[in-house]
Amino acid sequence: MIDFKNVVKTYPNGTVALKGISLHIDDGEFVFIVGHSGAGKTTLTKLLLGEEKPTSGHLIVGDYDLSRIPGYRVPHYRRELGVVFQDFRLLPNKTVFENVAFAMRVVGTPAKKIRRRVPAILNTVNLADKNGSFPDEISGGEQQRVALARALANNPKVIIADEPTGNIDPQMSLEIMNLLMKINKLGKTVIVVTHERELVNYYKQRVIMIKDGVIVEDKVGGTYE
Amino acid sequence: MRRYNPFYFILEALKSLKRNGVMTFASVAVLMSCLVVIGGFSLLVYNIDVNLENFGVMNKIEVFSNFDAGAGELEALERDIRALDNVEEVTHTTKAERLAAIKKDYDAYEDITDEENPLSDSFEVTYKDNKKVPELEMQLKQLNGVRKLTNRYDLAKKIENFKNTVMMIFLWFLIILFVVSLFIIVNTIKLALSSRKREIEIMRYVGASKWFITLPFIIEGVLIGAVSAVISFFIVKGAYSVVTRQMGDMTQVITTVNISPYNTLILLGFLGIGILTGIIGSLISIAKHLNT
Repeated sequence: MIDFKNVVKTYPNGTVALKGISLHIDDGEFVFIVGHSGAGKTTLTKLLLGEEKPTSGHLIVGDYDLSRIPGYRVPHYRRELGVVFQDFRLLPNKTVFENVAFAMRVVGTPAKKIRRRVPAILNTVNLADKNGSFPDEISGGEQQRVALARALANNPKVIIADEPTGNIDPQMSLEIMNLLMKINKLGKTVIVVTHERELVNYYKQRVIMIKDGVIVEDKVGGTYE
Repeated sequence: MRRYNPFYFILEALKSLKRNGVMTFASVAVLMSCLVVIGGFSLLVYNIDVNLENFGVMNKIEVFSNFDAGAGELEALERDIRALDNVEEVTHTTKAERLAAIKKDYDAYEDITDEENPLSDSFEVTYKDNKKVPELEMQLKQLNGVRKLTNRYDLAKKIENFKNTVMMIFLWFLIILFVVSLFIIVNTIKLALSSRKREIEIMRYVGASKWFITLPFIIEGVLIGAVSAVISFFIVKGAYSVVTRQMGDMTQVITTVNISPYNTLILLGFLGIGILTGIIGSLISIAKHLNT
């Protein structure tokens, strides 16, 4: 469960990025967050990732109150999230397998469990045959699938995808979106931040539109014009 | 149950040290110079102190009586000396005792009998305040039965001054070297951080704890410190034995201290300073360049 209550975010330079956002996302929902650049999507994402704290208002994700979370708790909170970025952010000197394993290793997962779980996740994202490849040996769409596998590695409750299709061709974009839908069906909350109209309109899910730091529309099966 | 492989941290640190080899070398070289200066400086001061003590010149004036002074005069003289303001302690040595001491040290004087004793009695005067030594000397000279004084205060003062100058120069040198070491270590770790920037970013997003992310960099600092310390120890040991051998050949007046019993202490001291500097450097770098 994700709960924004009148969340305001003002940056030190005076920019008011969010002007009182209230929003509720249930467990297992699939949500598009849309809006033009500068609308406040990035700030919203940063708040969800625990990178920034609200200036006022409350933000609660699961058991964590992000408006008052102490710094040392942030890593624990992030283990409940899986994040996918526009630019994939894979480690170029590690293989597909190692990239996924890395996310598990750095949170102290035993090696035995890593060896068992990574192939299963790679299978979920249809990459079982690429586990020995390096990122520059596979396509953009495949790289994003590796990133998705990595986001799933620590079995998070929520997946946040920040412009996941921004760097890949339309064909591959559909594939990534289908995978995100599949992950959603497995019971995970999926939040996709994007400004790609066609995708949003095609999937007919809940669409939250932000403009100038406020929510201007929140509709299930909504469209993005 | 979360388990972390301790070798992971050390391995990451070693990889990073190797990757930024030039900076690693610079860090070790500068920190090493710093430690060698500390070591050399401490040993020099220690040797000066030991020699000053051996001379027995720190705060003493020796007063010699007239040759023909009788027991009563000597007693009166001792009383008069004791009555002076700046006097802490007086030790009376009779001329017979002095002759015996000389005979013990120099074989050539063995034949001299007590009747032939060319010496006079002496009083070793320990004073309280070395700023008032000139006054004390005046007062002692005016006492009845005093033939002459020897005060090695001037020599002691010269040695003291030399020691203080040495200390000041080394101290400044040390501060500069220390700042340079820190600066270079900070930059070495900064380089290590930036070459693992992507990795660190991912670690943060998947929820690696802060200590897990920072530990390899702190270990890097520790390794730089430890390696510098060990190399410095051998340099100081080697240089010291060469210098003391040469000094020993040159003069018998100056005593050089054998530092072998202090080996462990010196090594531990070096390790302490080196590792601490490395850790401080890492922490500064992490605080400056790693926002978790």
